[in-house]
Amino acid sequence: MASTPPTLFESVRAGPARPPASGPARRRRTALVGWSFILPNFVGFAALTLVPVVATLCLAFMQWNSYSAPEWVGLDNFRRLWASETFWIALRNTAFYAAGHIPLTLAASLGFAVLLNRRLKGIGLFRTALFFPYITSLVAVAVVWNMLFSPDTGPVNQFLHALGVHNTPGWTTSTTWAMPAVIITSVWRDLGYYMVLYLAGLQTIPAELYEAAEVDGAGPWARFWRITVPSLRPTTFFVLIMLTISSFKVFDLIQIMTEGGPGRSTLVLSQVIFREGITEGRFGYSSAIALVLFLIVLTVTVVQFRIQQRGER
Amino acid sequence: MKSAIVKAVAVATGLLLSVAACGSGDDPATTADGKTVLTISLWNYASTPEFQALITGFEADNPTIKIKPVDILADTYAEKLTTMLAGGDQTDVLTMKNVIDYARYANRGQLATLTDEVAKTDPAKYRGLDAFKINGEYFALPYRQDFWVLYYNKALLKDSGADLSNLTWQQYAQLAKSLTKGTGANQVYGTYQHIWRSVVQAVAAAQTNGNLLGGDYAFLHDQYAMALDLQKSGATLPWATASTQKVTYDTMFSTGKAAMLPMGTWYAAKLLVDKAAGKTTVDWGIAPMPQIAAGPVATFGSPTAFAVNKKAKNAAAARTFVDWASGPKGALTLAKLGLYPSYTDAVVLAAYGAVQGMPTDAVAKKAFVPDRVALEMPVSDKSSDVDKILTEEHELIMVGEKTIDAGIAEMGSRVKSEVG
Repeated sequence: MASTPPTLFESVRAGPARPPASGPARRRRTALVGWSFILPNFVGFAALTLVPVVATLCLAFMQWNSYSAPEWVGLDNFRRLWASETFWIALRNTAFYAAGHIPLTLAASLGFAVLLNRRLKGIGLFRTALFFPYITSLVAVAVVWNMLFSPDTGPVNQFLHALGVHNTPGWTTSTTWAMPAVIITSVWRDLGYYMVLYLAGLQTIPAELYEAAEVDGAGPWARFWRITVPSLRPTTFFVLIMLTISSFKVFDLIQIMTEGGPGRSTLVLSQVIFREGITEGRFGYSSAIALVLFLIVLTVTVVQFRIQQRGER
Repeated sequence: MKSAIVKAVAVATGLLLSVAACGSGDDPATTADGKTVLTISLWNYASTPEFQALITGFEADNPTIKIKPVDILADTYAEKLTTMLAGGDQTDVLTMKNVIDYARYANRGQLATLTDEVAKTDPAKYRGLDAFKINGEYFALPYRQDFWVLYYNKALLKDSGADLSNLTWQQYAQLAKSLTKGTGANQVYGTYQHIWRSVVQAVAAAQTNGNLLGGDYAFLHDQYAMALDLQKSGATLPWATASTQKVTYDTMFSTGKAAMLPMGTWYAAKLLVDKAAGKTTVDWGIAPMPQIAAGPVATFGSPTAFAVNKKAKNAAAARTFVDWASGPKGALTLAKLGLYPSYTDAVVLAAYGAVQGMPTDAVAKKAFVPDRVALEMPVSDKSSDVDKILTEEHELIMVGEKTIDAGIAEMGSRVKSEVG
């Protein structure tokens, strides 16, 4: 400690110059230092996330229009939700979206990651190109894809026509095809991000494994299934969790692309929450829907964790 | 080392305090030179000349008051205002963008009553005032009363020789078909029916005295039949294309892609401005809305109003502003911009007709004074829920997913079961 003063961290770790403090006091001081570091972030988190989340939990059992005092209504909001056709339609649509978005994005991002995980001239260009949609403004993505999907003049249907498909789908103007159109758009947008995660995962697989397998006579297919896929298990797990959560809370893309239409064919739960809460001012009812959505995501995530743990054993 | 910890804690606390300080920032009620500061919530201030004109005019007449606009993005105005009021916001004057939102705020008790203000006026001269009556009281005064007319492109209609002064819907549809020509980039549609549900539903309600909140929507049938027929015959851009391409009615009309356009009177002001700025060269005229049968002109519209926040900091000044802006002086200011005010008398109408570029022919004169203007959507605490249902079913009918009858039946059963 001659020329440069110790950093805060060093001095805490190394102990002070004065006689060493007793155990509990030292622990308290360490904790205090720790707290002082996370305090700014934690206060922000508490004020902007924790409190509202807990408030939502309580509001789900109340009636509140944000102006007058909240009124306790017990399970009324949930009864109403159970009887609401719109809620069930939105739940079904959300599940449909998740069932399409999760596996397709997973497969596409893994596929592209494997394809692009090689030394090749200009490989960076391809990787960047695939990552581009993810950093593009979501509004732009939604508006442009909506135009691409236009039933009469859109390039997608013109292309299908050229391929000889005559009965082309109505995409976002058809109740049957609107959700697939949204799913295609979201897969296109998200795959770059998850591909990067997979690329990082692929770099960690030791090359010796592949060499050994090759010596043993394993073909590319066998190497992919026996080495790549198992080695990527932690990455896949992470990707799966992130995809699940993002699928269930999907809002922006659908809100801009179809606004839940035509009719209610692409209406998802988060849109119902928004409409009931922000637009209609029924914060109790909208909190109840939010709580249900939270429980669904929680259940799915817990199940995924369990499966992952079992697989590790 | 001790000082380092102290510093870290001090910095953290300082940050927190500065964050907390942001929340407690308060506007002073008066300016440095003693003027009362009046705050007004409004939308897209820079691109909405009426607000600037009203504020400038009011300040000139009331030198002791200084107005401070609270500018909000038009698209999210309702949501933002709802949130502001929920948080106990004290903005003095609140602009009511439509009557459905108005009913919401008024029913929640967020607006101060203006019944005394109404008593001081001549209610007959305030068009659209009735829409603001809730349980015998008024909580806002309208300053604009836009209603729907038929815009037409003079150049495209010249050869047809059609008389637009009292068209029936049947004649309108025939005319639209006969005016449709060309293909691809040169395609000209006979008319453009925008994707809003009101283009079909509010027209039908206004002209058949149908009730859009009633639960029986049989009165919509004929108007839907015509709209679908126009679309099928290619006389208008299909709903699906207009919706996916996010086509604006302005693009369709001002570039000569559509010969006719049913639309609100607000569009005249935009055409005037754009023409003066050289953005469009369209030679446009205005005709009354087509009718089911020739006769009195019934159309629909929706008023825009000013209300006073119940928690207003300067309630007295706020009332002064609302009186001024909705009254004769405000109306004259608006009329000079080519906007149709709520308050109308001979002076105001003369000023409106004298605006540079405003059509002044006999057909236009008839269009500007419809015999009856029904409210676009009746005011009730159910309006917004019903609105959502009607919009969803409208989409399904227009894209051909449901037949007219099935769609109308579904509207009725959903309104009955979901709104009750």
